[in-house]
Amino acid sequence: MVAPPDNDVLWARALHVTHNGSPALTGVSLGVREGEILAVTGPRGSGKTTLLRCLCGQLLPEQGEVWFNSTPVHTMTPVVRERLRRDRFGWIDPEPHLVPELTAGENVALPLMLRGASHRESKASAREWLDRLDIGDCARKRPHALLQAQRQRVAIARALVTMPSVIFADEPTAPLHRADRAHVLRTLTTAARSHGITVVLASHDAEVAALADRTLTLLDGRRVNTVHLPGVKETEKTAERAETTETAETDEPGADGPGADEPGAAAGPARSAGSGGDSDDAEGRAACSLSV
Amino acid sequence: MLALRLARGARPLVQLRRLLVAAASAGTGFLLLCTLGYAMGHPDASGGALLRLAWCVAPIAATVYFAVTVARTDPATKPRSGLSAVGLGPAKLSVLAAISTAVACTLGSMVALLVFLHLRGDLTGLPFDGAASELLAADQPLPVAAALTLLAVVPLTATAASAAVLRPRTAKPAKPDREQDEPARWYTRAAPGSPPSGLPWGIALLAAGLAVEGYASRSAGTSDLTLPGGLAGSPAGVLAGWALTAVGLALAGPGLTYLCGRVLQAARPGAMRLLAGRGLQEEARRIGRPLGVLCAVGSGAYAALTLYAGDRPAIGPLTTLGALLVAGCAVLTLVTVTIEAKHARADTTSALLQLGAPAAMLRGTAALRAGTLAVVIGPLTWVVAELAALPLAK
Repeated sequence: MVAPPDNDVLWARALHVTHNGSPALTGVSLGVREGEILAVTGPRGSGKTTLLRCLCGQLLPEQGEVWFNSTPVHTMTPVVRERLRRDRFGWIDPEPHLVPELTAGENVALPLMLRGASHRESKASAREWLDRLDIGDCARKRPHALLQAQRQRVAIARALVTMPSVIFADEPTAPLHRADRAHVLRTLTTAARSHGITVVLASHDAEVAALADRTLTLLDGRRVNTVHLPGVKETEKTAERAETTETAETDEPGADGPGADEPGAAAGPARSAGSGGDSDDAEGRAACSLSV
Repeated sequence: MLALRLARGARPLVQLRRLLVAAASAGTGFLLLCTLGYAMGHPDASGGALLRLAWCVAPIAATVYFAVTVARTDPATKPRSGLSAVGLGPAKLSVLAAISTAVACTLGSMVALLVFLHLRGDLTGLPFDGAASELLAADQPLPVAAALTLLAVVPLTATAASAAVLRPRTAKPAKPDREQDEPARWYTRAAPGSPPSGLPWGIALLAAGLAVEGYASRSAGTSDLTLPGGLAGSPAGVLAGWALTAVGLALAGPGLTYLCGRVLQAARPGAMRLLAGRGLQEEARRIGRPLGVLCAVGSGAYAALTLYAGDRPAIGPLTTLGALLVAGCAVLTLVTVTIEAKHARADTTSALLQLGAPAAMLRGTAALRAGTLAVVIGPLTWVVAELAALPLAK
């Protein structure tokens, strides 16, 4: 067992996972640095969710190691892993699984209450986070009275309110429209950056890469450097950007350059690419050629 | 056939529930057949036979209520995306539920018939052959049509009731118990937070029932209606009053549950009280009604116990069977509904676990809910039972 580099908050080596025999991850290694936003992209079924679940200790890899802050996660007992998840990790689902009988404010305050904070202070900090995410006026509404985008923002606030070390966001924008999608993502990344929270963001949406520091592309359970998607012209730019992103071992300071500097340019081609199909499926179902 | 195939693949707990429905149906069918036996044995006492038949209404109602609840909570009848893709939509599934209810109840009726024939001595070769031959009028030939009619009562009623309850309705957002086959169905399920409306009516009926009971027992008239077990004095008014209290309790159940939840989460609650209270408020409609029914049955049982505690004639075996049926069905209905509520909250529970809620806390929440309900409903039942038994015991 090799101890991981010290500056990585999360470090995984050669993860192998199979679901009922069908391989989901075949030898994925990565490191996540403190405070960075890492986008895990790839089409549907490429193992993004499985990778996230491995990293946060919900799922034990059959082979391979996961380290969090220089402690091995893969050797922990389930109870310890659960405590780790509770105390250090946050998780955002594709669907906002809010507690339906609590109001939005109480939903956000709930993690703090579960950790033993008093009613008053949990409510206060929940209120703060809701205000920060622009949904302060929804605090007294039940989830069923909210729009899906608002619910998703409540879920994000709920993940942020405990100030975890790492937030795993598994396709947080999947059920949302394009405008809401950009808004929600920007909210999440801004909040994480301003509070120094590491974010691992899984998405099949190439736009997400524009908001991330680094992008890691998965295809059929492997890390790939380039994904040549069909649709030639439109996705050329995306593919180029995927090419410029590096593997986990080598750092590339300019990685966020093309994404952060020209979000409009990145968003443009992806939007036109998505307009053909439902944008979710267009990429996923397309035949891909890859170069590992 | 499809209903049978689906039934065969179900989980043991579901099979157990269906078996319990069959057992309840068997008990009720047996009671009905016994009234037939009594009527055959005493052709002159048609009034008494009719009265016995009338008393069978209580077990029939309890059995049908239980059967409908089981049909409603049967996981095989929930709309599933896979089944609706092959053409088994909500309408077809409600037919399936009705069929499986019919199968279970008919099975029970068959068992009842066999036991009845066996106790009469028509079927031989087992112990207790003809053990009750004179009670069940073994010397008379069994009127087949009458027996079959009586036996068909429970399956037909239960099937019709479950088909009516489960019929697909146009999905209105304010329907609490129907769940659409949408993926995010717990958002569309209900308009949560609106309190159930039956509480004032329930309390009014409860009070009216107690008043009627008091007045009726004071007049001490005699009528033809007698309690089973040959109780002297003819408490028709008392019975009417008691029926009113029972209906009142059943109506007030949801409202009471909602109030319990409301009180539980009041005044700066912590996580446990908040979750327990809101959970009760959310599930008030689902759990409240069976709870009210159980409450009514409990108060009735208490009243009956005080009634028969003196030097009255002993309770016969058939009365005991009927009472057990009613009580058992009420308890089992509540248990079934509780399990249904737990399944309906599975999403929420997993979300809570994901948030880091310890499993012990979730168990504590459930215990807190049950405890609060017991603390509130138990004494209430006792008070109602005391009040109801007061005029009877004089």
